[in-house]
Amino acid sequence: MTVSATTDEARASHVGIKLNNISKRYGDHVVLDDVSLNVEPGTVTALIGPSGAGKSTFLRCINLLERPDSGTIRVAGHTIEPGKNVSARDLAALRRSVGMVFQSFNLFPHMTALKNVSFPQQRVLGRSKEEADERSMQLLERVGLKEKAGQHPGRCSGGQQQRIAIARALALDPSIMLFDEPTSALDPEVGLEVLSVMRELAADGMTMVVVTHEMQFARDVSDTLVVMADCKIIEQGDPRAIMSDPQETRTRRFLRAVLER
Amino acid sequence: MTWLAQWAGYLPQMMSGLGVSLLIAGISIAAGYPLGLALSMMVSAKNLAVRTLGLAVVEIGRGAPALVILYLFYYGLPKFGIAFESITAACLALTWNAAAYSSEIMRAGIQSVARGQTEASNALGISQRDTFFRVVMPQGMRSAIPGLMGVAIQMFQGTSLAYAIAVPELMKSAYNIGSQDFNYLQIFALAGICYAVISMPATWITVFFEKRLARHA
Amino acid sequence: MDAFSAVLQGLPMTLTLTLSAFAIGIIGAVPLAVALTSPVAPVKLVARIFVDLVRGVPIIVWLFLLKFGIQIGTFKFNPVSAAIVGLGIVSVAYLAEIYRGGLQAVPRGQLEASHALGLPQSSTFFGVVVPQAFRIVSPSIATYLVGLLKDSSIASTIIVSEMVFQSQAFARQHPTVEGILPYILVGILYIGLSLPVAYLSRTLDARMRKAVFA
Repeated sequence: MTVSATTDEARASHVGIKLNNISKRYGDHVVLDDVSLNVEPGTVTALIGPSGAGKSTFLRCINLLERPDSGTIRVAGHTIEPGKNVSARDLAALRRSVGMVFQSFNLFPHMTALKNVSFPQQRVLGRSKEEADERSMQLLERVGLKEKAGQHPGRCSGGQQQRIAIARALALDPSIMLFDEPTSALDPEVGLEVLSVMRELAADGMTMVVVTHEMQFARDVSDTLVVMADCKIIEQGDPRAIMSDPQETRTRRFLRAVLER
Repeated sequence: MTWLAQWAGYLPQMMSGLGVSLLIAGISIAAGYPLGLALSMMVSAKNLAVRTLGLAVVEIGRGAPALVILYLFYYGLPKFGIAFESITAACLALTWNAAAYSSEIMRAGIQSVARGQTEASNALGISQRDTFFRVVMPQGMRSAIPGLMGVAIQMFQGTSLAYAIAVPELMKSAYNIGSQDFNYLQIFALAGICYAVISMPATWITVFFEKRLARHA
Repeated sequence: MDAFSAVLQGLPMTLTLTLSAFAIGIIGAVPLAVALTSPVAPVKLVARIFVDLVRGVPIIVWLFLLKFGIQIGTFKFNPVSAAIVGLGIVSVAYLAEIYRGGLQAVPRGQLEASHALGLPQSSTFFGVVVPQAFRIVSPSIATYLVGLLKDSSIASTIIVSEMVFQSQAFARQHPTVEGILPYILVGILYIGLSLPVAYLSRTLDARMRKAVFA
């Protein structure tokens, strides 16, 4: 299932993420202060840091769920300057190539699991119902939930809902996946199901950015660890190196708080 | 016993009145719901003129007594040469009422849909139109159901005001019978029972839906 | 006389009807709400049937029943007293239902905490439950008052000379285009009168929510 080196290179030119000088404020309250980040294609980046650091906001800037006040966003070959007007077509193209998974799943409760995965394919990619359903079943099988296809989300556990949500995002064949604390609303045991799906995705070469509190996952799976605090990136690099020997006192304080409890 | 015998005698005439009441209620609800949806969309529109117009229609429909709107259509507009049959005027007035009330209920229902639903839809690249009509609206309407049922009951009871413009509905039938034999107590008690027999079970069903929704929320 | 002063002539009566019925309702609803939440099943059932029956019958029917249907000896209701009593009874039923909702919305934990502290029944009810319930229901009460103001117009059908009755009278005397004016003015007046109450309700709503649930 690993993506071959040649396609990797072919995709390399346009599937990475480059965020330059992103700033965002709500009124007088600064949320992001001139933040820049590069994500190489095919890599996994974990965003960690204390709550209120701006991790989620920063992640949501990548697909413009949050509109930064200034900066440049280059995602999957699209360049967007959010300070200016963004055309609906650019926005649609950007979002088609970026999948997102939310902390609270946000499945559509009035649709079955299958419909949840098929509906966006039909509407966004123009696939026929048959094509969409076929693809949906493949993906539901891949996340281990084929038998839940006909159920509504309310009938599924949190872990199952999150895996359906991952299938829904994957169904649009994104080149990048964003995860916003995907296991925070789940019991630790159930979170493991979700993390294992994410590990498989990473092994298949998906470009991923993950906001998480799962330190083990961040250490084992991510290629780059990014530590945010006070609306800025304070440290980034090899996850093992940072975790064993943080350079910043703020990082050290945070890691001690989460690792030594 | 004499009461029951008298009631049995009154009943045929009352039933034809009840039929008219149900007809008016049915028409004003059937027209009021879709108009209410349109108004709720106007009220949340970006365009200021559209929004103001929607808001005015809603606020008048909710803020002025139904009786006043009824009189406006039946006695007021003819002075401009626009005349309606009394039953048409009743339907128009109650439709306005129903539309205004249901628009507010639908708007509240739509606003109650979790923000995450819109966000997920946006993140998937689903168009604004589909996001509204296929994702947000079906969920919002679901939570609006008890409120909309309440509007239907309110409209059914509101048809009794059409008595004031001589529509031959239930109340008018009762009054006509009463002015023949002056048994006002019996006849209005019977009228009350006719309304209650429909309104009370309808209210219970509404409460049932409300509780069910609350449980599944 | 112009249309506006004609309509205004009915204003004192509209306010009298509304406030009298509201006063009856506010007080009369208290025992009924207690009955609605009573642990004694028959008491609860009777209260429930009363509330649902009163609300299941349109106001105009109650007014006609009282005005034309009631005759005890030589006593008959005059139009104004029939309207006040009728609107009052209806208010009792609606407000009792609102109170009941408030009483039941107070979290169970509050009762449990009071019991655990050994507070007597009366202090639990009047000192803990009622103040919280009042905060929860006060916006609904304000909303009901606005509805009652509008419903008082129904008294015009039993010849109480409130605002709508006065509008009708003026319109009948003016068959020309001018005759539409009182209806428009009276509509605006009702909306204008309900604005302060609606505003109060909205601020109460926001404030109470903060006070109770923050």
